[in-house]
Amino acid sequence: MAGSYHRSLSATAIFALQVVLMNLWVYPALLLWTLIGILIFPFLFGVGLVFLRQPADRLMRWFVWIYGRGWLLLMSPFVRFRREGMERVRIDRPCVFVVNHFSFFDTYCMALLPQYDIVFAVRSWPFQLFWYSAFMRLARYLDVEGSSWEETLSNSRSVFAGGGTVLFFPEGHRSRTGEIQRFYSGGFKVAIDAGVELIPLCIDGTDKLLPPGRKLFYPCTVTLRALEPVTTGNYRDVNGHIRLRKQVKELMSAELVAMREGQKQ
Amino acid sequence: MTEQEVIELIDSSLAEEFELEREAMTPEANIYEDLGLDSLDTVDMVIVLEGAFKFKIREEEAVRGIRTLGDIHRFVLSKMEQQS
Repeated sequence: MAGSYHRSLSATAIFALQVVLMNLWVYPALLLWTLIGILIFPFLFGVGLVFLRQPADRLMRWFVWIYGRGWLLLMSPFVRFRREGMERVRIDRPCVFVVNHFSFFDTYCMALLPQYDIVFAVRSWPFQLFWYSAFMRLARYLDVEGSSWEETLSNSRSVFAGGGTVLFFPEGHRSRTGEIQRFYSGGFKVAIDAGVELIPLCIDGTDKLLPPGRKLFYPCTVTLRALEPVTTGNYRDVNGHIRLRKQVKELMSAELVAMREGQKQ
Repeated sequence: MTEQEVIELIDSSLAEEFELEREAMTPEANIYEDLGLDSLDTVDMVIVLEGAFKFKIREEEAVRGIRTLGDIHRFVLSKMEQQS
């Protein structure tokens, strides 16, 4: 009895120490990496435009992906990142990604995807983060709240025409319960309109890493799993987006349960 | 279409689109505070109503003033009256 109490006490102490070390490392490192990015990326962007001859928005999306990779690398001493089902993501094929949302950190975890050409569909407020907004506009991210529906559709079509992908967090907000919330229809309508595949992504673990309302990072395992792509050709009727949305939500909810069960074993 | 049928079509279309509980959908229910909709949903709400009633309302100023489910009922009924 006493032995088990001491073991539990020392496990708690070790975890607390890890949390302290992690936050002493992660906050300054991420701040420094962001500062480096802000100072260096515009220069590299200019060089890239001249020598790589890529469209400016795609080049910026590549830099954003590299920036995200940097975040993952800096977190990696304390967080184990796992990628599953990534063979289902074809980098040569436009698609819509939909992913559940637990944490501010989810966005950075999208750098786990093998695809870098990702246009994030976001609400208006991230465009007000002055240190990111210029990069987001250059990458032609979609402001789904501040644009008309026609603009969102037309901008998405031009992304697909260029071979890119669009990523939606269909819940619109971070979940505070650990469960998937109501889905907005936007991402599903965009996929149906363009006739591209929809790839559901399930992310688990970021609710332990940094849930809404907590300031401290906790060590954990984060898993990003790509589910089977869903073709959208059969959902072109009036209420097709509702059927697609429900089907994908069911798939993702079931997968998330399976992922958590798998982690327990 | 009778007034009751219009209201039923509005409620069923919105319930389906936004996964709303029918019991909560009273005419007095505030669409933001009571039904949990937000600015993103307003765009979808307009598309749903346009699809259900085959009219165009996205440019109409009155849409911005909608606060309750009853406001939606009244707005759609008056729009249909104008059209008939």
